[in-house]
Amino acid sequence: MGSLGQLPIWGSKPCIMGIDEAGRGPVLGPMVYGCLYCASSYQKTLSTLQFADSKTLKEEKREELFEELKTNESIGWAVDVIDPRDLSAKMLKKNKINLNEISHNSAIGLVRKTLDLGVLLTEVYVDTVGDPEKYRVKLSEIFPAIKFVVAKKADSLYPVVSGASIVAKVTRDRALRDWVLDESAENMQRNFGSGYPGDPETKAWLDNHKHAVFGFPTLVRFSWGTCNAYSKDSVDVVWEADADEDESNGRASKRQVKLTDIGFTGVKRKSEDIESSGKGRCKFFQARKLELLAQF
Amino acid sequence: MERSNNGISGTIDLNGSIPPSMAVDLTGKVHQLPCCIKFNGPSDVSHYFKPKSTGVIVDGLSVEEAYFRGRKLQGTTVAIPHGYSGFVLGKKMSDAKSKRSKEDSSCWETKAKFQNITLWNHDSLPSENDASLRAFHLFSVATALHQPVSVEDLEAASIDQELEL
Repeated sequence: MGSLGQLPIWGSKPCIMGIDEAGRGPVLGPMVYGCLYCASSYQKTLSTLQFADSKTLKEEKREELFEELKTNESIGWAVDVIDPRDLSAKMLKKNKINLNEISHNSAIGLVRKTLDLGVLLTEVYVDTVGDPEKYRVKLSEIFPAIKFVVAKKADSLYPVVSGASIVAKVTRDRALRDWVLDESAENMQRNFGSGYPGDPETKAWLDNHKHAVFGFPTLVRFSWGTCNAYSKDSVDVVWEADADEDESNGRASKRQVKLTDIGFTGVKRKSEDIESSGKGRCKFFQARKLELLAQF
Repeated sequence: MERSNNGISGTIDLNGSIPPSMAVDLTGKVHQLPCCIKFNGPSDVSHYFKPKSTGVIVDGLSVEEAYFRGRKLQGTTVAIPHGYSGFVLGKKMSDAKSKRSKEDSSCWETKAKFQNITLWNHDSLPSENDASLRAFHLFSVATALHQPVSVEDLEAASIDQELEL
């Protein structure tokens, strides 16, 4: 989603862009990356538009500013809404992608999309995720023609980033407000609260919507540490991806594998919960996970 | 099926106490997940587990996606090959008449039937090389092994052998 499907008239002049995120910390709902861009020559006017760090503004003021900037023809904007299902799935993949990488990729995607539109980006201001200098080098290597300024609290330092933070925050709030739950179970409530793990309303919602088998509705980011506190109430689920990890990590589990290899069967390997070893079976059956069951 | 002495213990009664036509049909509702859920019992699956078609086709298999416990699953629904059926088995109900069957834990009977199954992978697209799909290869092997040999087959085989010699 964004302002324009086509290149604005001022887009072929040198432009600046700000990038900021909303909903990185919450345990539920989407994470939104937003960007705002304009001609470098418009910078002075931009700083008179009362954009401030979106967190310091009241919700109504943010909504108002967003509606204003949408009608401003000297400003372009775009958002990348990352679904909580995607966040969880990526962070729980066999080859896990951490939140910093997901964030970086989203910001990179916004820059690329704007460049593809034909906008001549010369300077991009980014609120940092992780180490600012490493992040700046990463971005500069991908886009050598652009000067990147990566800083902590960039949203309160640069008006163009403040604007981006408003775009991101309003989009995130609306997405959560309008969220259509996947689940069709009865008594599903929509009082999510802010989504921050510390918010009493969010805590109460999580308590009321936990499920012994399914965990939570897919609005929840299962990869968040907050969810672990609820795992004692739910059924154990063992994944092959996790079993592999246990085996390749700790030394203790490596030793267990060796012991079983030389015939010590007393130590049960985790993966045996998922599939039997296939020892002694013909290769044809092993490869097809088939086993003759004589005692049942 | 009668209990034999050749190391096999346990019986399966595919007809069970209910006539086959009355057996619960679970076609379209049987899923094989790439994880072990340490729970046996009913759960509101249809309210929480929502497979969606992706429109993607791999190896002629139409790909579906779903989420479980925050993991993305990719799967495909395959028909049980013609002439075969899927069965959900349960311990045979012990009736009052035979006290013995109460302790007998190895008598199984059909609780439900199904004609397709959805096989799910974590993180990888379904493929004809997936072990679960390849398990169906057994059916053609079994047919080849158990089909009575006809006179023509024997003749053809001996002609082949002679030609090789």
